[in-house]
Amino acid sequence: MSDHHHDLVHATHTHDGKPIQNDDRPPIEAETLETAVRELLMEKGVISADEVRQAIEMMDSRGTDLGAKIVARAWVDDDFKQRLLSEGDAAVREFGVDMRPTELCVVENTAEVHNMVVCTLCSCYPRAILGIPPAWYKRRDYRARAVREPRSILAEFGTAIPEQKQVRVHDSNADLRYLVLPQRPAGTDDWSEEQLAALVSRDSMIGVADIRSPGE
Amino acid sequence: MRGPQDLGGLPAGPVDPVVHEHDPTHWEKRIDAMMMLLFDPKRRLARVDESRRMQEALGEDYHKYPYYERWLQAISWLMLEKGVFSQEELDEKQREVRARLEAERSGT
Repeated sequence: MSDHHHDLVHATHTHDGKPIQNDDRPPIEAETLETAVRELLMEKGVISADEVRQAIEMMDSRGTDLGAKIVARAWVDDDFKQRLLSEGDAAVREFGVDMRPTELCVVENTAEVHNMVVCTLCSCYPRAILGIPPAWYKRRDYRARAVREPRSILAEFGTAIPEQKQVRVHDSNADLRYLVLPQRPAGTDDWSEEQLAALVSRDSMIGVADIRSPGE
Repeated sequence: MRGPQDLGGLPAGPVDPVVHEHDPTHWEKRIDAMMMLLFDPKRRLARVDESRRMQEALGEDYHKYPYYERWLQAISWLMLEKGVFSQEELDEKQREVRARLEAERSGT
């Protein structure tokens, strides 16, 4: 993503210190086109203001939590884990996630293999589980280099993968989305599913980070 | 031939997981919401591959557009192509909206 939005002055303040603008505004040409398209779609009865509001509410409600619950369940329930790995779409439906029209492929990190996800062609991502992809996932740098030098990218995330461990990079597409099932950290044998879920980060499910053992 | 979107394996710069984070602004979420609504089973007015075809049609401009501006352009071209609204309607609406936003931004 270009940084030109970030050059704009952000919240300006009135003399009494109250922000009069608290959101980045795009260039006026872009805001004009967006507003015009949205209003035309509403006038034509294609979408309603309420549907736009609900869609934004839905995207705000999706984040790491849902993915973390799925991962924690797989760690404590081996039957679920097998379903998740063999037929991801059906397994996540148990959590109310509908992946359609895309398919979900869950890849498991093990002692021998580390998995990492990219979309070289655009920004395909398991949005129904993890929400909107992080900005770096959509950047040219990540998209270009992940498939050629994954270990360098991982190092930039502070993730060191031992030489003897294989790194597998999965290139997502319009029809198929990937989710990484991270390794359950050592020292969590007696942890509850809820406690485990709290350990799972978004980046570990994209495969750019591992989950540290508690106390590490 | 490699299209502008086909980035896999090309040389590129470092990824900074701290600096290259960005919470979507409300404006970006509105574009995202529009696209998701056009994709949904109720409307089926767009598909991921159609959206990509439009974005990739930007050619070298692909890289000049910020991410959501690319989406916005794709939505707008797709709706024109499908006849949901016409270029004249879009031009007229943009004139009206532009005047409104200019007034709003200048605080009048």
